[in-house]
Amino acid sequence: MRTSTTTRLRAAARPRVAALTAAAVASLTLAACGGGSSSASESTLRFGLSAEPVTLTTGVWQGSATNFVLTLVHRGLMTLDESGELVPGLAESVETPDPTTYVFTLHEGLTFSDGSPLTAQNVKSSLEYYADPESGSTLIAGLQDIAEITADSDTQVTITLAAPNNAFLEYLAVPTAAIVPDASLNADTPNNVGAGPFVLEDSQAGVGMTLAKFDDYYDAEDVALEEIDVSYYADGDARANALVSGDVDMIDYVTWENFDRVGDTDGVELAAQPGPFQYVQFNTVEGPFADPLVREAVAHAINRDNALTAAFQSNGEPLYGVVMPEDPALEGVGDDLWSYDPDRAKELLAEAGYPDGFSATLLATSQYTFLQDTALSVQQDLQAIGIDVTLDAPDWSGRLEKGAAGDYDLAVSGDVGIVTNPSYLLGHVQGPDNFNRSFGYQNPEIAAALTDGLRATDDAARVAAYEEAFSIFATDVPFATIDTRDQAWAHSDDVEGFANLPGFHTFFSGYTLANTSIER
Amino acid sequence: MFSYVLRRIGVGAGLVLLVLTLIFLALHLVPGDPAMLLLSQGDGASVTPEAVARVRTQLGLDEPLLTQYWQFLSGALTGDLGESFRNQQAVSEAIGERLPRTLELVGLATLIAVVVGVPWGALAARKGGWFDSLTSVLTSIGVALPVFVFGSVLILVFALNLGWLPAGGFAEWGEDPGRHAQVLVLPAIALAVGFASTVARMTRSAVLEMLHQDWVRTARSLGLSRRAVFRRYVLRNSLTPVVTTVGIGVGTLLGSTVLVERVFNYPGLSSLLVEAVTARDYPVVQGIVITIAVLFVSINILVDVLYGVLDPRVRR
Repeated sequence: MRTSTTTRLRAAARPRVAALTAAAVASLTLAACGGGSSSASESTLRFGLSAEPVTLTTGVWQGSATNFVLTLVHRGLMTLDESGELVPGLAESVETPDPTTYVFTLHEGLTFSDGSPLTAQNVKSSLEYYADPESGSTLIAGLQDIAEITADSDTQVTITLAAPNNAFLEYLAVPTAAIVPDASLNADTPNNVGAGPFVLEDSQAGVGMTLAKFDDYYDAEDVALEEIDVSYYADGDARANALVSGDVDMIDYVTWENFDRVGDTDGVELAAQPGPFQYVQFNTVEGPFADPLVREAVAHAINRDNALTAAFQSNGEPLYGVVMPEDPALEGVGDDLWSYDPDRAKELLAEAGYPDGFSATLLATSQYTFLQDTALSVQQDLQAIGIDVTLDAPDWSGRLEKGAAGDYDLAVSGDVGIVTNPSYLLGHVQGPDNFNRSFGYQNPEIAAALTDGLRATDDAARVAAYEEAFSIFATDVPFATIDTRDQAWAHSDDVEGFANLPGFHTFFSGYTLANTSIER
Repeated sequence: MFSYVLRRIGVGAGLVLLVLTLIFLALHLVPGDPAMLLLSQGDGASVTPEAVARVRTQLGLDEPLLTQYWQFLSGALTGDLGESFRNQQAVSEAIGERLPRTLELVGLATLIAVVVGVPWGALAARKGGWFDSLTSVLTSIGVALPVFVFGSVLILVFALNLGWLPAGGFAEWGEDPGRHAQVLVLPAIALAVGFASTVARMTRSAVLEMLHQDWVRTARSLGLSRRAVFRRYVLRNSLTPVVTTVGIGVGTLLGSTVLVERVFNYPGLSSLLVEAVTARDYPVVQGIVITIAVLFVSINILVDVLYGVLDPRVRR
């Protein structure tokens, strides 16, 4: 009886084993016959993106992955060329008969990717929406000077400003300033329809998206890529591996520990540019850092070279002042406000009434290693001048909440301006609190001087205004800068025409994919 | 047997409900505002308070906690898990896409682990000597080796140096079956190494224990060959603890493939869970945790039932 059961079991087991073996062999055979890389065609760019973009919300800043998609699918009146220069986009030309009047002439026959025409009326309604505080747009501050927008004809728009604003055109080149159909001008409709060089064709949550060339784009004849095949690679190493092994042709955000490996790989090019800046922000409402002398002491205590090595393997520049735009007229302005001088720092502390130092909490985050490493370096520097620093490193979400609520004494942060014009600093010295500005800090004098700089119509007046702003900045210290970090994209040598735009514009480099080609 | 299974299912359902409540509370207790996170992804241009408030209303986060709990609970019971804060995809759809991928990976890893681990452990127990010692050493390394280290080594050798297989990624079976299989090979092996080692060790010790049973000697004295006793009786009787190990192992793997998914950029359920936690994407986290809890409980019930199949004594 027992024997027969066993026999039955064994008989049943054999074909199962055979089936398993067959399956294993089949999967190995399949694996062996395909070769290393996925389908790669002449005009398809395979792109490894560092994060999955969230649903696009019109006008709202949603991070660099989302901005990347915006630079492909959308265009504004202005855009950036491959050297980062401001050039007309949907506008064929722009004239400024006087410092408060801008006349934009649109390209003929502009269309959105849904087939509807793009007219001067769309320009008017889009920009009015972005200037409306209710929209939650990135550009509320940047476009606040608009007094009137008139659609003179289907292809001509005149914008009148209440006062001169030398950053106005730059704000119009920000990816979130794209001209969109009226139907997209609300918080609920995904902002997928644009007039950019590519159209969002397909999206697979968690995996990737496909963008196809938009044939009715105003400069379609210069767009070489037929398709951009985006895959998401959240992990920095996995992203670098994908490029090095040839799984993708191009990646964004090369992490600093991968700079050498990617840069030294044959057939791969690393494109690095100085990008965001790191800084120490303060709680200026309560605690010792409400005293400007203590803040200035911190600005002199930070060993910026050490911080740069700790966080970025020295891929960046130490920053002893504020980041200023590449502009010959502003050469040397604002770049030398503090020095690394621990003795001076101790003197300042003593002057503020803390000859023996004090204890403080430094807010960082465990989620971004470079911010945590920067914090560790700053902690050591402050220890050296007698400030006993406890590190608080919650995940990014916790960091945001604590930052916005002022639940810290000091914090390390990284930031970019949405424009390179020094008006990006305005948000740090006036207006509501948020997670990455010094808690409770308001300085109407600096704000007024920065605004004078923004309104200035000649170089001498601009320089004078900024000199004034930074002389207050140096001693009142709204924040203490540490360094700028290199931000890198990387691509195979087959990719031509892409440029990593310098400075804060590095995150808008997707614009140059309109003029990128691939030769396999 | 039937009432036993029913009772197990009842306990399982209670457990799932408990997990469901705990995860809801835990998520809302942990600091972090999903609305603010959505608007500040890494490079932080300043967020306006208006924008944050608008997103909070949009996501229903301004409702009282009890209302939110009730909505979540009633939704979950009717199979509606809500939609993702980040991309408005229905959570059930997201899980529907991701779960099969993770199951496929875990399934393949389990297959490798069982096909390699059981014979290896049995052989080590039976042969003894140097092979047994070697097995002990190798399986110790296999269990101790962190999966992300082994995964990275696999990538280095087979993707970057030899170029035989992709370094990671994913392709749908329907679109590119060849690549679909290719991308599975390395992560499945990385995942299987530790698992196969555990299975081998468990098989080895169970077999050793069985070999010393009195009935083994009796069977031999009745004239059955050593080989027949081993294959027909010893191995089969040794499999009960192995099945438990495999069952628990599969359940654990379901929730812990995250490192492998990360290293190989494989868009499975675990990586979605981690992304959702960091983004405070509440509906997605809740949905996945419930799914994993249900699966874990079901696998355990299945394992109990399997005992009955392998060991007739349990059935009585």
